[in-house]
Amino acid sequence: MIQSFSVWLHSTKLSWAVAGGIPWLWPLCETLHFIGLALLVGIVGVLDLRMLGMAKGLPLAPLQRLMPFAILGFTINLITGCLFFTGDPFQYIHNVAFAFKLLFIGLAGANVMLFYLTGLYRRVDGVGAGGDVPAAAKVVAAVSLFLWIGVMFWGRMLPFIGNAF
Amino acid sequence: MSFLASIENTALATWIRESSSLWGYPAILFMHTVGLGFLVGLNAAIDFRLLGFARRVPLAPMESFYRLMWAGFWVNAASGTLLLMADATTKLTNRVFYVKMVFVFLAVVNMVVIRRRVFRDPAIDTAPVGRLGRMLAVSSLLLWMAAITAGRLMAYFGPVSGAPGLQNRIP
Repeated sequence: MIQSFSVWLHSTKLSWAVAGGIPWLWPLCETLHFIGLALLVGIVGVLDLRMLGMAKGLPLAPLQRLMPFAILGFTINLITGCLFFTGDPFQYIHNVAFAFKLLFIGLAGANVMLFYLTGLYRRVDGVGAGGDVPAAAKVVAAVSLFLWIGVMFWGRMLPFIGNAF
Repeated sequence: MSFLASIENTALATWIRESSSLWGYPAILFMHTVGLGFLVGLNAAIDFRLLGFARRVPLAPMESFYRLMWAGFWVNAASGTLLLMADATTKLTNRVFYVKMVFVFLAVVNMVVIRRRVFRDPAIDTAPVGRLGRMLAVSSLLLWMAAITAGRLMAYFGPVSGAPGLQNRIP
């Protein structure tokens, strides 16, 4: 099914455009993918590191208002990532590094869900300047840092462990 | 042998480029990406705050981000030097590389100026962010985006270099 979907995807005009039909499109997407990466990792990193005890003078409630920029970064990367896949699906579907990258993104998503759905988010929101977040939130923060750095690792390994450029 | 070729032919540069070990080129490239994420991402967090987002976040404690931003900078200076050695004849003759260096230099100067003019201002967090602080935030965001763009385009313009087997190039 993945195979036939990929065959169809590869036959589309969009795939042709991304894969070099429009020469500047792939480099543009790569550039945006790295700008999105910096936004996502930087903003999520600030929140995670604060929860882990760095820059304790920062109250958590207003700091969480920076999250829309992380979501913006994620959205940019989701769109550009889908475009890369559309451009050359075959270099990803049999790529171990790509499978792990998706797995880590999924786990990072589950980690965020856990943070919001268990009410941990509200308890963290009440932590002011100098305060400590609950231990469970520290675990979520450490797991988040590990997973997002892992996503960067698997992304960078696409050409080396797998075979994508 | 030219100077650039002699750099590229040192044992270290050859190993980085040609070793099949993940500890060579792949690991160094990964470090360069992590350094970028933290250096630029934390800068962006400060910039957004200076521009008026998350206004109730006090600025003063954000100064402690500088330690991590400098760590990101030095990780990237070191990993960048190694990547440069591995492909000296191609990257050091690529005009886009020098464009990237100019933007990185200006962005780092901008980052230092924000520390001196905004974080060392005794009125920080008692008065709203001034015009200078907001302008520095805008130039910071633009300079880092330009540096990332130039860095990415090094793989597509000029002499062939970068990841082995990289196929997608603008001729």
